[in-house]
Amino acid sequence: MKKSKKIKLVLITAALASCNQKKVPTDWENGNGGKTYLRSDSTAPYSRSHFHGAGLWFYAFRPLYSYNSNGAFVRNGFSSNAIPTSSNFGTNYSKGKAVRGGFGRSSKGGG
Amino acid sequence: MKRHHITPRNNWQKVVENLGFGFHSTDVPYWDESAYYSFRTDEIDAIEKATTTLYEMSIAAVQHVIDYKKYDLLKIPNWITPHIENSWNKDDPAVYGRMDLCYKNGEIKLLEFNADTPTSLFEAAIVQWFWLNDFDKTKDQFNSLHEKLIAYWKYLLPYLNNSKLHFTCINESLEDLTNTEYLRDCAIQAGHTTKFTFMNTIGWADSTKKFVDEDDEAITNIFKLYPWEWLLQDEFGKNIIADTLQTKWIEPSWKMILSNKGILPILWQLYPKHPLLLKAEFSNDGFNSYAKKPILSREGANIELIEQKNSLEKTDGDYGSEGFIYQELFTLPNHNGNYPVIGSWIVGQEPAGMGIREGNGLITNNTSRFIPHLIE
Repeated sequence: MKKSKKIKLVLITAALASCNQKKVPTDWENGNGGKTYLRSDSTAPYSRSHFHGAGLWFYAFRPLYSYNSNGAFVRNGFSSNAIPTSSNFGTNYSKGKAVRGGFGRSSKGGG
Repeated sequence: MKRHHITPRNNWQKVVENLGFGFHSTDVPYWDESAYYSFRTDEIDAIEKATTTLYEMSIAAVQHVIDYKKYDLLKIPNWITPHIENSWNKDDPAVYGRMDLCYKNGEIKLLEFNADTPTSLFEAAIVQWFWLNDFDKTKDQFNSLHEKLIAYWKYLLPYLNNSKLHFTCINESLEDLTNTEYLRDCAIQAGHTTKFTFMNTIGWADSTKKFVDEDDEAITNIFKLYPWEWLLQDEFGKNIIADTLQTKWIEPSWKMILSNKGILPILWQLYPKHPLLLKAEFSNDGFNSYAKKPILSREGANIELIEQKNSLEKTDGDYGSEGFIYQELFTLPNHNGNYPVIGSWIVGQEPAGMGIREGNGLITNNTSRFIPHLIE
């Protein structure tokens, strides 16, 4: 027998609608007055952490601190387990340096 | 090998769309189940054996190009050759490829090897398998692509960098997206953690010298359905060699050698008069009838067939600036005005199945039809 015994797909039928489809703007994006919440919603993986010595609290975003080369305390912002590690750490400067659109142009005959 | 005319399934468009096959038709059906090809077992065995032999010869040809640094013949720029050699020496994972074969009067000839960005994988692995289930499930098919893809992705688990496996393609092609998402589907079933990102959303973080996706997540393994020669021409191309994460690209950069039509004269030089090869050279000296093919091209573009020094057929396109190779003319078999080419798939290092595309002319191009097959 030279054919596959059985075939199961877990992904393919659901994914194809994304091809070059215009993204439907959210209420927030099209200015229809959707609300913006500062705190994460119930899907965020809240973590237990000590905060201000006041006992155990649950936080979606935890304060992030470090010490600079002079040993001085520096507050860096907040971290969250809900987003990739690389998005938690690093300065805004370095994140801002990521440029996009440098791949894909040759397919349009630009190469 | 015989062609049979049949009646398509009722509402076949809906049937294939339910599989996730959205590009079954353009002006005319691309997926064409008004016919099928049947093969005897010994014919399939011959195609399978030829594919194994040709793959071994192709790998030896890559080694030859690297050993003798014949990159100039293939118009591969010098700056990328250390990356190519590194990917070859480290045996970076290569998942698949498709050899286009001509099968006529009992002879099998290699026309070319699409080793970098072959498509028609989804229709070969999935659509024709389900067609056979409906048409006659007692029959066999040369098609273990799905099983072998999952098995090979599983085998590759320890060989990739220890993080996500990204998948990418351009966002203007449903065909490319379907093929890419199908490969990701198999990788997920094999146990990989995957993420899809379109080519134009890939970012380059210059401060850290790494590629990132749209969420700024570092890319350390990436399957791309996008030709290497285009990657090199793109603005980010040279960042590939500056990348501090040494991202594993699938297919790896050594596939640039194998997918180049220049590999055909090199194969002929290494294996002269081999029965599975057609004579091929970098010049047309000594040929009366030949196919003129650009070193880099896709979907049958910029090909000219010359018979007795007269032009037999010719296609347009944007390729050819890198030069051409010349291959002895061996026309496709004529089945009542239909000219089939066999796409024989390699997964990992093994033959894994085939798909047949046919056109109304001697050059198989992007308007050809995919016809299912079975084994009698």
